[in-house]
Amino acid sequence: MFDKGAEAHRQDQPRLSVVAGAGPDTAEALLHRTALGEDDAFAALYDLMSGRVYGLCLRIVRDPAQAEEVAQEVLVEVWRTATRFDEHRGSAAAWITTIAHRRAVDRVRSAQAAGDRERRAAAESAEPEYDSVAETAAGRLEHRQVRRCLKTLTELQRQAVTLAYYGGHTYRQVASLLDAAVPTVKSRIRDGLIKLRDCLEVSR
Amino acid sequence: MSEDVHTLVGAWALDAVDADERARVERHLDACASCAQEAAELRETVARLADVTVAEPPARLRENVLAQVRRTRQEAPAARPGEAPAPGPVADLRRGPHRSRRSPRLRLALGAAALAVAAAFAGVFATWAVMQQPAGEGERIAAVLEAADAEVSYQEAEGGGRVTVITSEALDQGVVVVADLAAPGPDRSYQVWLVEEAGQVSAGVMDPGDSSATMLVEGLGDTLLVGVTNEPAGGSAEPTLPMVADVALPA
Repeated sequence: MFDKGAEAHRQDQPRLSVVAGAGPDTAEALLHRTALGEDDAFAALYDLMSGRVYGLCLRIVRDPAQAEEVAQEVLVEVWRTATRFDEHRGSAAAWITTIAHRRAVDRVRSAQAAGDRERRAAAESAEPEYDSVAETAAGRLEHRQVRRCLKTLTELQRQAVTLAYYGGHTYRQVASLLDAAVPTVKSRIRDGLIKLRDCLEVSR
Repeated sequence: MSEDVHTLVGAWALDAVDADERARVERHLDACASCAQEAAELRETVARLADVTVAEPPARLRENVLAQVRRTRQEAPAARPGEAPAPGPVADLRRGPHRSRRSPRLRLALGAAALAVAAAFAGVFATWAVMQQPAGEGERIAAVLEAADAEVSYQEAEGGGRVTVITSEALDQGVVVVADLAAPGPDRSYQVWLVEEAGQVSAGVMDPGDSSATMLVEGLGDTLLVGVTNEPAGGSAEPTLPMVADVALPA
């Protein structure tokens, strides 16, 4: 390690401290070490987050083989771009989840772009999806909080948020699915997320 | 217009916008700190929605990912415009709207530098700078590495090892990575110097016996060379010649 040299010894010497961060095994700490090229840390991060990444991809993409492909892209991207993660701007879980969601949605949308008919079929199949999501949530004790908070939303807010998030639709597509005005859906999504935020007590 | 964009923040947090809208929202967030705060909170909220979709991936995914990672180089901490999806507001907000596109050659060089820094961190795990400011130093080192004008210089040191210097003229800062020098000897320390026309100043003294370290140098000014010398433990007022390495900085 460095110190300031002979001249600086007259001044107060800073104390040696290990790199800032929470415990050694938090996602943030693992991601930080991943950014430094540590394979072990990345493997531990994989074990911590792969279920979350794969599950979200599976929910959005639906096809297990494609979900696996997208999840692999996501996890390799986490490795590749870990250097860009800034823990002062958000949690590691949110950062990784955001990448996963974006990639899964990209996959779904490029498939949609391949054919309008296909897109309409995908859109039509999306509404029941919310129910299955709700069921999954209902079945898991550890997800009670998210489920409870989703219930505090109005019906339109909840449908708009879940169709957009789990269905991978744009807000315009959501509006057409719900047969609602586009500006209404846009503001309901925002209102819904704010309510969700307050209920989940997300703060930074 | 601005109100319109701001309402879109919710849809943006859900990735429920098209590419144009996404760009518009992110420009808006760049210009509005309170909006950026709300956006970050909504992103954090949205991520919780994935709590309910967790599912066990097939076992082979782990092998496949780890195998691919072994042959994938990590990026320098900078966005590559038009390629990978940006990780939310997070990375985008800290950079101004004027994100410059780097030449492929420079990006390659930075990748190598980042690896060198990583190697130094892995072995040493704390830096001179971190000692002073545990909270922000890693970021400031990263800021030098990702500076649009970052340049990399290095030299193989006398007796083995390498000294790498990454400098940003715009930031007037540099990162010095000393890696795997020969053991300095009993009660000896390596010392780093900033050499300019008028003479040299000590940039820091490594702990006695240490042969690797990373440091942030602020106020590069007219530094021509970064030199490393072998000194009595604790350092000297004047460098003991010859230098173990003298890395010339870009003019």
